[in-house]
Amino acid sequence: MSDHENNKNDSVFKIALNLAVACLISGCIIAATYYLTADTAIKAGISLRDETMKTMVDGSTDIKEIQSKADWYEVYKDSDLMGYIIPTDTKGYGGTMELLVAVDKDLKVMTYKIITSKETPGLGENAGKSAFVSQFIGKTLEHLVVTKDASDTEDIQAMSGATISSKAVTVGVKKAVEELKSYLEGGQ
Amino acid sequence: MRELWNIFKKGIISENPILVLALSLCPALAVTTTVQNALTMGLSVTFVLACNNTVVSFTRKWVNPKVRVPIYITSIATIVTVVELLLQAYAPKLYSNLGIYLQLIVVFAIILARAEVFASKNKVLPSFADGFGMGIGFTLAMILIGTFREIVGNGTFFGYQVMGSWYHPALIVILPPGAFILIGYLVGLSKIINEKRENRMKLKGEVQ
Repeated sequence: MSDHENNKNDSVFKIALNLAVACLISGCIIAATYYLTADTAIKAGISLRDETMKTMVDGSTDIKEIQSKADWYEVYKDSDLMGYIIPTDTKGYGGTMELLVAVDKDLKVMTYKIITSKETPGLGENAGKSAFVSQFIGKTLEHLVVTKDASDTEDIQAMSGATISSKAVTVGVKKAVEELKSYLEGGQ
Repeated sequence: MRELWNIFKKGIISENPILVLALSLCPALAVTTTVQNALTMGLSVTFVLACNNTVVSFTRKWVNPKVRVPIYITSIATIVTVVELLLQAYAPKLYSNLGIYLQLIVVFAIILARAEVFASKNKVLPSFADGFGMGIGFTLAMILIGTFREIVGNGTFFGYQVMGSWYHPALIVILPPGAFILIGYLVGLSKIINEKRENRMKLKGEVQ
């Protein structure tokens, strides 16, 4: 890397060629890795999603996709319909959050799971932890409202320091329940 | 062997990437709110740093100095992408936990800095030792910051509650300003330690 070596390799063509070869090699490496891992990655992604949904609802034995609604699922225990899992998104503090919401057939929230989010770690990110999630269990549509009043046990208590994230999740869950309600009313 | 050990060792205390070189402060603020995140990030960086130093050192004779920086970045990006693809396929849970952090490694100053300062001028084995040592130093500093922030700012350690319910977490420690203040104190502390060490070395030299 001394100076006279520099002079030897000064032509633009040589420099460009050097960079082009480096990029070509790295492109080949990435392409080869992708080719070898793509199938496994897709399978792993699907099995991770199925596993996530199974662990969401206690006692569920089977999950079936609803034909008329893309990415909506019915949850069965043996042959009884327990509820539905509905994907939804909402605008959080750090951008869009994607949620999976489990709702039973009486339109009560069973639980939800945050799939992707960019909330502040230690604050808004706690929206995915059980302390906050457990507030939603059994809630009906009219109580899916965020409150800051500690004595109000009917509604959802906002997490301190993360009001926006609390509201975002609540709005998302509410949207899912509303969508399910109109789906069930329309279908039956 | 002794020389390799010295190269490895200097990344941990005397040239610690975060506390002494003050490189890659961005992840030190962003990813240290929990110990778990800090540790995962540290290990990923260690891996990429050691790999990239090896690659850069191995190819140093063929890389044109005028385009060395773009080539280093290409190399870093390739390593990170390969790691990402492999994790996605074989450890999808870990992959979804790491999320955006993984891609961020590409732009960490410490990796480019070690390629430029050390690996481009040294043989493969010392370069690997340098990358590995710097990575370990980075990880230790991250864990130190993460431990303090998680315990003081959240009352937990590795996700387990360690403070009683009487404890009200100090919110500022979780937020970036808290991390800045903490890192400032740690930089001061490491300066004191390094100065004492140097003095000791000098004394030893005089005695011999």
